[in-house]
Amino acid sequence: MLEVRNLTVDFPGVRALDSVSLSFRPGEIHAVIGENGAGKSTLMKVLSGVQQPTSGLLFCDGRPTRFRQPHEAIEHGVAMVHQELHLVEALSVAENIFLGREVTRGRLGIRLDAAGMRARAAQLLGMLGAEIDSRASARDLSIADAQFVEIAKCLASDARVLIFDEPTAVLGERETARLLALLRKLREEGRAIVFISHHLEEVVDNANRVSVLRDGKFVAAFERYDGILRCAEGKPSRESALAQAMVGRPLGDLYPTRAAREDRAARIALEDFGAMGRSAGVSLSVAPGEIVGVAGLVGSGRTETMEAIVGLRRAAGRVRLDGEVVRFASPRDAMRHGVAYISEDRKGRGLHVSLSAMINCTLPTLDRFTTAKGASISTARERATTHRWIQELGIRCARIDAPISALSGGNQQKFAIARWLEGTPTVLIVDEPTRGVDVGAKAEVYRVLAQLADAGMACIVVSSELPELRGLCDRVVVLRQGRLVGELPRSRLLLPDAEERLIRLASGLSETKDDTW
Amino acid sequence: MVSTASTVTNSAKLSSGPSRVARLFERWGVLVAFVLLFAASTALQGGEFASIENFRNMLNQNASIGILAVGMTLVIISGGIDLSVGSMLVLAAAFGLTLTNELIAREWSEGTAVGVGIAASVISGVLAGSINGVLIVFGRLAPFIATLGGLVAFRSVALAMADAGEIRSASSSVFAVLGRGGFPFFGFVNSAGNPITITYATVLFLAIAILAQWFLSRSRYGRQLVAVGANEVAARYAGVSVASVRLRTYLIMGAMAGIAGLLQSSRMNSVSTSQLGLGIELDAIAAVVIGGTSLRGGFGRVWGTVVGVLILGMIANMITISGISPYWSGAVKGAVIVLAVLVQRSRS
Repeated sequence: MLEVRNLTVDFPGVRALDSVSLSFRPGEIHAVIGENGAGKSTLMKVLSGVQQPTSGLLFCDGRPTRFRQPHEAIEHGVAMVHQELHLVEALSVAENIFLGREVTRGRLGIRLDAAGMRARAAQLLGMLGAEIDSRASARDLSIADAQFVEIAKCLASDARVLIFDEPTAVLGERETARLLALLRKLREEGRAIVFISHHLEEVVDNANRVSVLRDGKFVAAFERYDGILRCAEGKPSRESALAQAMVGRPLGDLYPTRAAREDRAARIALEDFGAMGRSAGVSLSVAPGEIVGVAGLVGSGRTETMEAIVGLRRAAGRVRLDGEVVRFASPRDAMRHGVAYISEDRKGRGLHVSLSAMINCTLPTLDRFTTAKGASISTARERATTHRWIQELGIRCARIDAPISALSGGNQQKFAIARWLEGTPTVLIVDEPTRGVDVGAKAEVYRVLAQLADAGMACIVVSSELPELRGLCDRVVVLRQGRLVGELPRSRLLLPDAEERLIRLASGLSETKDDTW
Repeated sequence: MVSTASTVTNSAKLSSGPSRVARLFERWGVLVAFVLLFAASTALQGGEFASIENFRNMLNQNASIGILAVGMTLVIISGGIDLSVGSMLVLAAAFGLTLTNELIAREWSEGTAVGVGIAASVISGVLAGSINGVLIVFGRLAPFIATLGGLVAFRSVALAMADAGEIRSASSSVFAVLGRGGFPFFGFVNSAGNPITITYATVLFLAIAILAQWFLSRSRYGRQLVAVGANEVAARYAGVSVASVRLRTYLIMGAMAGIAGLLQSSRMNSVSTSQLGLGIELDAIAAVVIGGTSLRGGFGRVWGTVVGVLILGMIANMITISGISPYWSGAVKGAVIVLAVLVQRSRS
C-alpha cells in the first residue's frame, strides 16, 4: 500500500536516514523501533509529507509519489496521529473531526451541515468504541479521549495508512489497552498501521512486522507467523531480542577512561524527593568525583525531577548538600550553593539562540562582570572569559558577538556547559548532554564531563542514549513513571547486556530476562 | 576534534542571509531616513527648517513624547507593551498640580510647594506603573490587558479629581519655568534678536535617553532585560530573576510618564484632565517601532527611538508649515510607521 525505497534524509552535518527501504501493507501493524535519534521520527515525517527526502522513492499503491505537503499525504490516504495532539480547544469534538473538510448543505455550499457532521462524528467515534459526546468541547477531553478524536479525524478523511508516533507514551494502563484494542480493530478493517513505540512489550504483543532502525540505517526485521514474532532466522523473539537489535553497538573509544576514585561522603543527596505531580520517592546520592546516570523513557519524570532540585518546579521531599537540608527557590539560588542545571532543551531553555555567544556565556554569572552594583558591565572581562572558554573546551566560534544560533549543535552545547562552569559549581546536573550533537563533539563533551568528575565534581547525567550512560557513568539509576525502579552499578554496566537491562527496567520489566525468549 | 561537517555549516550560515548592504540598511536605515527627511524639509521651506530655532522648537515640543518613548522602548524590549502611559501622565500631572495648589493655598512658599508637587508627580507615576507591573508580573495578566485597564482607569481618576475640567496652576511664575525655561545656547540669537535657549525639557529628554541607552547596553539590568524579552523561559533557566526585571521596567515607565506629565503641565501651567496626553501612547509606540525596536521583544535601541521621535515630529512640522490640512498628518504618520517596519524587518 505504501512503500519507501532507498530513502535518505540529510540534515546539516547529520545523515538522519540512510538508504532505508520499508513497505507497509494493509491489514498489518508494522512497528518501527529504535533508540532516540535512530531516525524513526524523520521516517514518519517523510511518510506524512512534513519532510522532503534528500533521495529515494515513495510508492503509493505501486506508483511513485511525492508528498510535498502534509495535505498531499492525507489525499493519498496517509494520516499521522501526532504524539502531541493538535485539536482546536475552542471547537467541539465534531467540529474538530471535520476541521478543514466541513460538510455543507444547500446549493451555495456556505451553510454548515452541523447536524450531519455531528451524526457522522458520533458514528465514527462509536465505531472506535469510544464513548465521547460529539458535541463536547475539545478542551474537556482527557488525553486518551483526545487521541481517539484525532484517530476519528484521520478516519473521517478515509485514511488507509495510519501512522502512530508513540501513542501510548502519555496514556495510563487502561487507556493503553483501549488504544491497542483499537489498533487491532483498524488492522482487521484492512488498514495499514505504522506504530512507533518505546514500549517493547506492546510491540511484541501486537505487531505483525517490526523494523529496527539504528543510526538512520535499517538493521533488523522481525515478522509474526504462526502467531509468534520471529527474527529473520525464524527464532521466536521477545522484548530482549528487540532491545538487543536496537542497541548492538560496540563501545568504542568514544568514552574517556576515568581516574580511580576514592570513596567520599555524598555531596548531594535526594531523600524521598520528587517534582510535584511528576515524580516521588526518589532517593539518590552523588559523591564528589562521581558521575551518576539517570535513565528512563520520555515521560518518566527524569527532567522534572532535576528541574525540581534547582527550584524550577515545586518539589517534595528533601535535598541535602553536604548533609545540610537545602531548598532552592530558583536556578540562581541553586547556583549560589554550587548546583548547576543544564537543560535538555537547548534551543528553548538552555540558551538564548537569538543572542550572541558572549551574552549567553556570561548570563548566569553576570554579577561577576559588573561593578557599581550592576550599573556597569565590563565587556572586556566578558570577552576575555568567553575566549578563555573557547580555548578550554575547544569551541569553534568565529565571532563571539554573532547570534549563537550560527554555531553547530556541539559548539552550542559546549557554551551551554561553559556558562555554568564559569560559576564553579560543585554539583553539575546535565540533561541530555549530547542531544543534537555530532559524534566528534560528543566525544569532547564526554571528555569534559569526565575531567570535571575526576577533578571532584559531583555529576548527574540524564540521558536517553543508553550507550552514553553506559560509557560515561559510574552507576545508572532508572526512573519509570516518576519512581526509581532500579540501579545498575559499574560492575553490571560493564556486562554486554547492560543496555538491554536498562531498557527492560525503563519499560517496567525486571532487570534480567527471567521470561522466555 | 569537531567534525569538519559542522564547521562547513557554520560558515555557510554566516555568509548566507541578507547581503551586507541590506544588513547595513537594516541597522542604520532609520538614520538615513532622518537625514533625507531633514533635507527634504529644509528644501521645502527654502532653508528655513534647518535653522537652529526651528529645530529647537521641534525638540522642545516633542520632549515629553520622547521621554515616554524611551520608557516604552524598555517595556517593548521586555516583551511587553504599556497602553496606559497617556493616562498615567495625566494622573501624575493632575495629582502633582493639585497638591501644589493645595500647599500654596496653605501659604507654603511657592518654591517649596512646586518642589513637593514635582516629587508627588513622579512618585504617583511610579505608583501607577507599579500597579501595571504587579498585575502583569504577579497577576500574570497579559501586558496589553493590564495596561488597557490602566488606560481607562488612571484617566478616570484624574477626571474625577477635577470634574473633567482644567486644573490651573496657582504658581504664577515658578512652576512654568520647568516647561518653558532653558539654558542659553552658545549665545545664538533668533531673527528678533532674542537669545535662543535650549529648554530644560529638551535637556531632560536627551539626558534620559543617553542614560537609558547606556543602561540598556552596559548595565546588568539592560542585559537581563534583553534576555527576558528574547526568551523569558531561557532567562529563568539561566538564573535571571524575571519578575524583578519586568517589575522594574514598568516602574521606570511610570516614572517616565510622571516626568512627561510634569513637562506638559508646566508648559501650559495647567492640566486639562480630559485632553492632556490623550492618545499619546500611540505616538510613543510608533516612535519605538520606527526606531527599529522589535515588538516581539528581545531587541531594541533607545537611540533609534530618539530618531523615531524626531522623524514623527518633523513630519508634523512639515505638514503644518506647508499648509496641508492637519487632518492629513495621520495618514502620513501611518504610512511612515508601516514603511519603517517593512524596511527594517529581519529578512531571515
